Amino acid sequence: MSAETQQVDSGRFPSWIGQYLRDHLLLAVIVVLFAVYPFLYDFLTGQFGLTAQMILPRTRTMLTILALGLFAMSFDFISGYTGYLSFGHAAFFGIGAYLVLLGHNGQLPVVPAETSFMLLLLIGALIAVVAAFLIGLISFRLSGVYFAMITLGIAEMMYVASNNWAFLTPGESDPTEGVAAGSPSEIGFFEPALGVPFVESLQVEIGPFGDEEIFGIAVGDPQIVSYLMIGAVVLLCYLTMKRIIHSPFGRVMIAIRENEERAKAIGYNVFYYKMGAFMISAFFGAVAGALFVGYEGAIDPENSFFFLVTGFALVAAIIGGLGTLAGPFFGYIFLEGVEEFLSREGGGGGLQPFLEQNLPGAILDTDILGLTINEALSAFMTGHGDFYAGIIFIIFVLYVPIGMLGTLRNRYGTDSLAKYVSAGVEKRLSSSDGETPATGDD
Amino acid sequence: MIDVLTPLALAETVDLLTSPSDITGVLIEGLAKGSLYLMIAVGLTLIFGLMDVINFAHGAFTMYGAYIAGVAVLALGVGSMGFVGALGTFFIIMIAVFVLLAVLGVIFEVTLIRKLYEYPPIFMILLTFGITITMEELMRMIVEFRDINSGQWDIGWDAPRQSSLPSELGGTTEIGFVNFTGLQLMQISMGVAVLAGIWAFLNKTRYGLFVRAGVEDEEMARALGIDINRTFTAVFAVGSGLAGMAGVMLMWDPLWDVNVPLALAVLLPAFVIVIVGGLGSFKGTVVASFLVGLIDALGTWAFQTGVIQFTDIDQLMIFAILVVMLILRPRGLFGVKGQGDHG
Repeated sequence: MSAETQQVDSGRFPSWIGQYLRDHLLLAVIVVLFAVYPFLYDFLTGQFGLTAQMILPRTRTMLTILALGLFAMSFDFISGYTGYLSFGHAAFFGIGAYLVLLGHNGQLPVVPAETSFMLLLLIGALIAVVAAFLIGLISFRLSGVYFAMITLGIAEMMYVASNNWAFLTPGESDPTEGVAAGSPSEIGFFEPALGVPFVESLQVEIGPFGDEEIFGIAVGDPQIVSYLMIGAVVLLCYLTMKRIIHSPFGRVMIAIRENEERAKAIGYNVFYYKMGAFMISAFFGAVAGALFVGYEGAIDPENSFFFLVTGFALVAAIIGGLGTLAGPFFGYIFLEGVEEFLSREGGGGGLQPFLEQNLPGAILDTDILGLTINEALSAFMTGHGDFYAGIIFIIFVLYVPIGMLGTLRNRYGTDSLAKYVSAGVEKRLSSSDGETPATGDD
Repeated sequence: MIDVLTPLALAETVDLLTSPSDITGVLIEGLAKGSLYLMIAVGLTLIFGLMDVINFAHGAFTMYGAYIAGVAVLALGVGSMGFVGALGTFFIIMIAVFVLLAVLGVIFEVTLIRKLYEYPPIFMILLTFGITITMEELMRMIVEFRDINSGQWDIGWDAPRQSSLPSELGGTTEIGFVNFTGLQLMQISMGVAVLAGIWAFLNKTRYGLFVRAGVEDEEMARALGIDINRTFTAVFAVGSGLAGMAGVMLMWDPLWDVNVPLALAVLLPAFVIVIVGGLGSFKGTVVASFLVGLIDALGTWAFQTGVIQFTDIDQLMIFAILVVMLILRPRGLFGVKGQGDHG
């Protein structure tokens, strides 16, 4: 793409595009890397087999990361930039996810069954905005811990409701099991299509059985098509949020975080700005939820409204860097990558199958305290990714509190807003007391 | 959402108001639940009041306490000891768990939490949240690996209760129109004992004086030569130990499941109580515990008699209390802006 960057300048496009791409070369390179990742993964695993499978996250994992990463970014948008910790952010993810499926199953008033996915996505996002408005109305009277707790309380009420409300699952099935697309049998197939709403020809069907080509370009694997399409939406959302952050509105958000009293004294009506930021982040949180079910085709309360959904967005935000917007996304990749490396979920790669195949049998069968090393490996390295995630998280909180991207921007960033933000975070950390906290290398 | 207010509801509600045995039943159940909640939440309050640490790992300590007690009860064969023996062993286990988890609390405080006192309070939430994820997953590994409850970490483990709860505690006693179980009586007396113990600790001991001084004005207390860091460690140890003790109590209560999700199931109501009472206020926590306990009991009663057909109505109501309270009194019942108080 960097070669193309030069071509764009030659007049086929307005010149600002070329200028923009030159200014954001790094962003363009990263986007291209993401775009070719599935092909790269196939190539590398074909070439190096198990070794590559061990290190690289699968395309399937990357798909989940895209949706959850967007959710983490939307969480960072409110929590990292205004300083109001939205501990019930999972509510918006759940609204987006449930609304798509309920809309498809024809359980919503007004909306007919099998409404197109794009429309449902937008409706869900707008409902999340309304919900954020209502939640914000009562929550923004509080601040600090109290704000975090009241949002948590509201989200937990929704979680309990989604666990028990028989309306969600008509028929006899248990709401705790979640909602699947097409659960009353007369409803047609769930065929989510991403693209421009109302324009059939500009939409591409995603999902495990979706299209195999994007606008006539054959890709081959529906999974890769979904990855590229969802990735494009995530990129669009990221750019939008970034644009808002860099606008005067975003500067007021940062001012609220740094010193709300002063922002008020200058004359900003901080309540409006906080509400606006909260509603915007709810919008993107719901989009993330819709994208998540777009591929999965089903959702349960445990994966949507539950407190730990917010919890892991928070973990990702800290690892990537709170208040860096893109940071939480990379934090999620890091987190999932490490989890997949250290613990095998389903048929995934990781360290355990690699060791199992490459260690000599004598070592594998060695007996320690009544169990062989092989058994110990499969016990501790299968499905326990959260354990390692927790440890990594603690290390980050203790030693790299501004996160990966925060540190990078601090060290290599130009004299940009990002640098100012990271430096601000660090200054706040070290200036709250005379002693300098042990923050490791930064 | 609660579309199921049947015509039955009115009659049943009138029944509650006119039937003395129903009223006392709900009251006693509410007191028993409130006592449990008090045991769970009081450690959280102590820690927050002094150290301004919102301890997300609190529920995990309770969960560990419950599992340790379950294993100990089965290993010691409490079931075959008779009433007095079983009760005695139970209390010994409780003390042992208190000590064990207090030691664990000291380890966490000294190695991890102490490093972050200078940071904004949010980092304490993050750190303890990391600790709770790790602790939960570790317990999951142990459960699966040691084959506790056939390796099912998310389903309640009731073998210890079924084998060891003395029939004297499980059965219902009737005095006049008042019905209660021995277990409820025991829970209420434990709650009162913990309440009295903490009160005495804060108001009658030298260390309690240090704690109150630290809450009031940390710098002044330091200037007067009180080793606040050691007081922090001690309070964190006591709080962790109390969380573990609550876990031991929960092990015998049929309404609670001993499993890994118990950590969060305990943590969230505890937060509600601490916030409804006012962050850091001991008095507030006591009042809020019994308030939440009563409302929980009322919700359970409403579900059992069929007034409301919504399984988790009690949980829904607990969070509703939180939201309503924060709207009406943003600082909770007895909360003070800034520092918490003990009284």
